[in-house]
Amino acid sequence: MMQWLAGAQPVLVGGVLAWAGAIKVFGRSAELAARRSALRRLVGTGRVFAVYRAVGGVELAVATLLVLPPAHPAKGIAALVLAVGMVGYLGYARFAAPESSCGCLGEKHTPVRTRSFARAGVLVLASGTAMFAMDWWPVPFLDRPLATVGLLAAEAALVVVLSPELDGVWLVPLRRLRLRISHPLAGRPFEIPLESTVQQLHRSAAYRAVADQLRSDLLDSWDEGEWRMLTYSTGPATAVFAVPRLKYDPAQVKVVLVDEEVLV
Amino acid sequence: MNSLDRRRFLTRAVLGTATTVVTASALGAVSPEVAIAEPAFEVEPGGIDPNFAEGRITGIKGALLMVSGSDGVLHQIQLTSGTSVWKLRPATIDAAAVGDGLYARGVRLPDGTLAADAVWLNIVNLQVNITSIGKDVLHLDHNGNLIVGHVVAGTTATVYNGTPAVTDLSLLQVGKHVQVLGAWRPDTNEVDLATVFAAA
Repeated sequence: MMQWLAGAQPVLVGGVLAWAGAIKVFGRSAELAARRSALRRLVGTGRVFAVYRAVGGVELAVATLLVLPPAHPAKGIAALVLAVGMVGYLGYARFAAPESSCGCLGEKHTPVRTRSFARAGVLVLASGTAMFAMDWWPVPFLDRPLATVGLLAAEAALVVVLSPELDGVWLVPLRRLRLRISHPLAGRPFEIPLESTVQQLHRSAAYRAVADQLRSDLLDSWDEGEWRMLTYSTGPATAVFAVPRLKYDPAQVKVVLVDEEVLV
Repeated sequence: MNSLDRRRFLTRAVLGTATTVVTASALGAVSPEVAIAEPAFEVEPGGIDPNFAEGRITGIKGALLMVSGSDGVLHQIQLTSGTSVWKLRPATIDAAAVGDGLYARGVRLPDGTLAADAVWLNIVNLQVNITSIGKDVLHLDHNGNLIVGHVVAGTTATVYNGTPAVTDLSLLQVGKHVQVLGAWRPDTNEVDLATVFAAA
């Protein structure tokens, strides 16, 4: 059982490393991804792309070693070193450059958060298990084909779920589908928001005429039939605007300035 | 004059149903000189605007707010009946609470107190990405950090493509960028949404 588990892990680790390496070496916007990553903080802007590519090359090399025969503990150890280094890099990124991108498994800008650490943890476990593989990975496949495919599919799914870079591929479409079936914010009562009335006020000649005298922001508002009243302070007086509430007609906006002294 | 009488009086003044509105000054013509005049702005570029204050409220004494600025400067902000207070919507001084964040604009008095013309409590303006939409809530991603945006019935408005604001939020989509104006709930990652600017 343990042998079977260990024997299958090089496929997962190799696959993830190949994916990570390929994006760094062959990615179309690899240079941009490198500059956005926390690596820039670590090695400097001048060297960041070369280092980013080199890391990708190492990842590709380890991935190739892992999937090629024969099985050897050294390969698992190499992957483990990479995975532990990854955790260290994430820790550095989280605390030294929290707004920069991970640059790990995709070119999308994704700051390092809990999920990135969890994914690196999964890779540490898988690489650690892979060290104990005695047989080349096709052996467990031939022994228990269905179980092996199922195990690797589940592990791959876990890595995908823990990759914020890939949310756009599965999570966003899923949530969009959910909204198309029923939008949680649909069917709310129709009201004219205050913001709409204020926008209409700003486009009226009446507002332009007194705008340079207004000192305060909106003081008070209330509805009066088909009008909505908005008041502003000019200092010694209060500017009262009557804005059509149910239609858009800025030409109808009325204004009057009322001396504060008569309002006491 | 209580606030109900005040509203009634002001309504009559502007809608012209009052028999005599002796104190209402008539509106003059829109003068182009005013419209194109250079705004009086005396602050040097990069200088400190003395007529502006920012910070968290540390104490309230009647209509006087004690504010501690994020740069360590302490402000005293005096509110009057002519001061507008915003806290998700136009409010009164009673809405201010210790711990609220604040922006204030007004006139600096000789004793250093800021006589405020306008105060905005907990106002935030964020460029975010909608990550999910639930009942009365938007989950927003702000540079990788989760912000919970609460939809407030009757207040939250949406501006789609710059058209007049509406209360209909059903065109908001997961994965889209939006700009939100709202009121922060102090010391949380939650905001009450005032206006959502979106493309549809």
